[in-house]
Amino acid sequence: MARFVLSRALKAVLTVWIAITSTFFLLRLLPGDPTTLMVEGDMTPEMQAALLKTYGLDRPLWEQYVSYLRELVQGNLGISFRQIQPVTDIILDRLPWTLLLAGSAFVLTVAVGIPIGVAAAVNRGKWLDRALQGFGISANALFVPSVAILLLVFFGAQLGWFPIGGAIDPDTRGAAAYLSLAHHLVLPVLSLVLVQLGPYALTLRTNMIEVLGEDYIRAAQARGLSARRRVWKHGLRNAILPALTLMGLQLGTLVGGAVLTETVFAYPGVGRLIYEAVGQQDYPVIQGAFIMLAVTVVIANALTDMLYAVLNPRIRL
Amino acid sequence: MSAPVLTEQALPPAPAAPRRSFLSGYLRQPVVALSVLVLLVMAVLAVFAPLIADEPAGAGADVLQPPSGAHWFGTDDLGQDIFAQVVWGTRTSMVIGLAASLLAIVLGTAIGLAAAYFRPFDAVATVITDVMLALPTLPLMIMLAAVVSPSVTTLTLIIGFFAWPEVARLIRSQGLVISAMPYIDGARVLGATGWRIVTREILPAVVSLMVVSVLLTASRAVISEAGLSFLGLGDPDAWSWGRILLNAQRSGTIAIAWWQTLFPSLAILFLVLAATLAGTRFNDTRDPRRNGG
Repeated sequence: MARFVLSRALKAVLTVWIAITSTFFLLRLLPGDPTTLMVEGDMTPEMQAALLKTYGLDRPLWEQYVSYLRELVQGNLGISFRQIQPVTDIILDRLPWTLLLAGSAFVLTVAVGIPIGVAAAVNRGKWLDRALQGFGISANALFVPSVAILLLVFFGAQLGWFPIGGAIDPDTRGAAAYLSLAHHLVLPVLSLVLVQLGPYALTLRTNMIEVLGEDYIRAAQARGLSARRRVWKHGLRNAILPALTLMGLQLGTLVGGAVLTETVFAYPGVGRLIYEAVGQQDYPVIQGAFIMLAVTVVIANALTDMLYAVLNPRIRL
Repeated sequence: MSAPVLTEQALPPAPAAPRRSFLSGYLRQPVVALSVLVLLVMAVLAVFAPLIADEPAGAGADVLQPPSGAHWFGTDDLGQDIFAQVVWGTRTSMVIGLAASLLAIVLGTAIGLAAAYFRPFDAVATVITDVMLALPTLPLMIMLAAVVSPSVTTLTLIIGFFAWPEVARLIRSQGLVISAMPYIDGARVLGATGWRIVTREILPAVVSLMVVSVLLTASRAVISEAGLSFLGLGDPDAWSWGRILLNAQRSGTIAIAWWQTLFPSLAILFLVLAATLAGTRFNDTRDPRRNGG
């Protein structure tokens, strides 16, 4: 087990390093590189040179890369162009909101997806199964901002059941604050769950159908185990594993969806920060946000894989 | 531009008769026929946009009008016609969707086939593919689009460049199966070069998978383009469905002017759903074992 964890962690570090390195060079090889974008047009050549020197952009690319990496390891993502503040601080302020949003969506998708997938597998060909298949295929076509706006207009603006923006009412304290937090979370989370749920439940259904045809399930039936026990205990345990892998692979999409949802609901996470930074052309923030999100996704993916190893005795080492 | 044209071009020059019956069997399914119809209508809108509606520009007198006979989809806060914006947006979505998808298919097929046949290359290709699939694609595309000035061309390149790993994985897994077949060994024994085996023997066997990939990748590309435009990273000189939603978001009219967000949203839904259904049904028709499931 320790060896598995170690190799999985190594793979995660390698992924992050490749991502950082390739984007570093890609950004500097692209036609409109950030160095020219940062320098305002009306500066004298001397001022430009001085500014480039301050940021170390006059040095050879290789040296820049090494010092960039050294700073990065120490958690330094540079200084924001617009707010004179370290990018790391700005992002760490926002990251918990994104983790809360994406994490809730992840948990809810699994919690709702399991019963739906199992019910569809057990009632194969019935209306629930057909509905799930239709929903699963069309989920691919759901555009997160469209879903978010629909929910916002209907449940937020028309019915007034939920707030249409923000993450919390700043005037609340104690239990009321948690309630306000949850209240603000409902619509953004729902936007993500609606998009993620279909493929997840569909995968679970397919796995479940396969597992229910296995010999050991029929053996369990022969031993006189109730249908309920066969499905929920023996079947689900095996059907859930591939679905877990799918969720791990979907994490990148989930984070991308969070960026869009946060934008619609003015939710103060990293996604909304990216939207604001794009409008202000604040490149260090955009780049830093990508790195932080990539690290988050890679860590979450590694944790999912480790959970898989814990749940699956066949690869328990 | 439409699906059937692609299908016909992409099919291998195999025996004509069974292929034709495959295609007509495919098109005769109601879901497929409807999807292809939607794709055709969208293609017509995209090609003839200038004849259908004037390119929206400047400010109009009718501000925030709900749908009416004069403005089928209503107007936005500048008095611009939403119908015209949606029609012109079709053009951008379809061009970027198809072009990015073709780029991804070419890259993905080349890398997937090379990985499937040339074993030493496989390890490298697999690592790169895994890394790219593990990263959050949208933030990655945002970062690049923010640095280059976004235009239809740069967006196509960015979206296409990050869509190839899924294609490569699909083509590689199919290519591995083909590479292990006896006729490939036969070709090798006869002295065929690696290049010849890959292009003449393995490539034709994955062509139908490529057709499916074009449609599915195009639908993802359309969603990506809409997402980038919605975040303000679209081509400022081209209308896009994501940009219409962004305008509603920026002007704060989301809660009032439902027509400004509903119609572009439906356009995205219909185009992507049609392409997805046409693609998955093609796959099911090609390989009946996948039916039901």
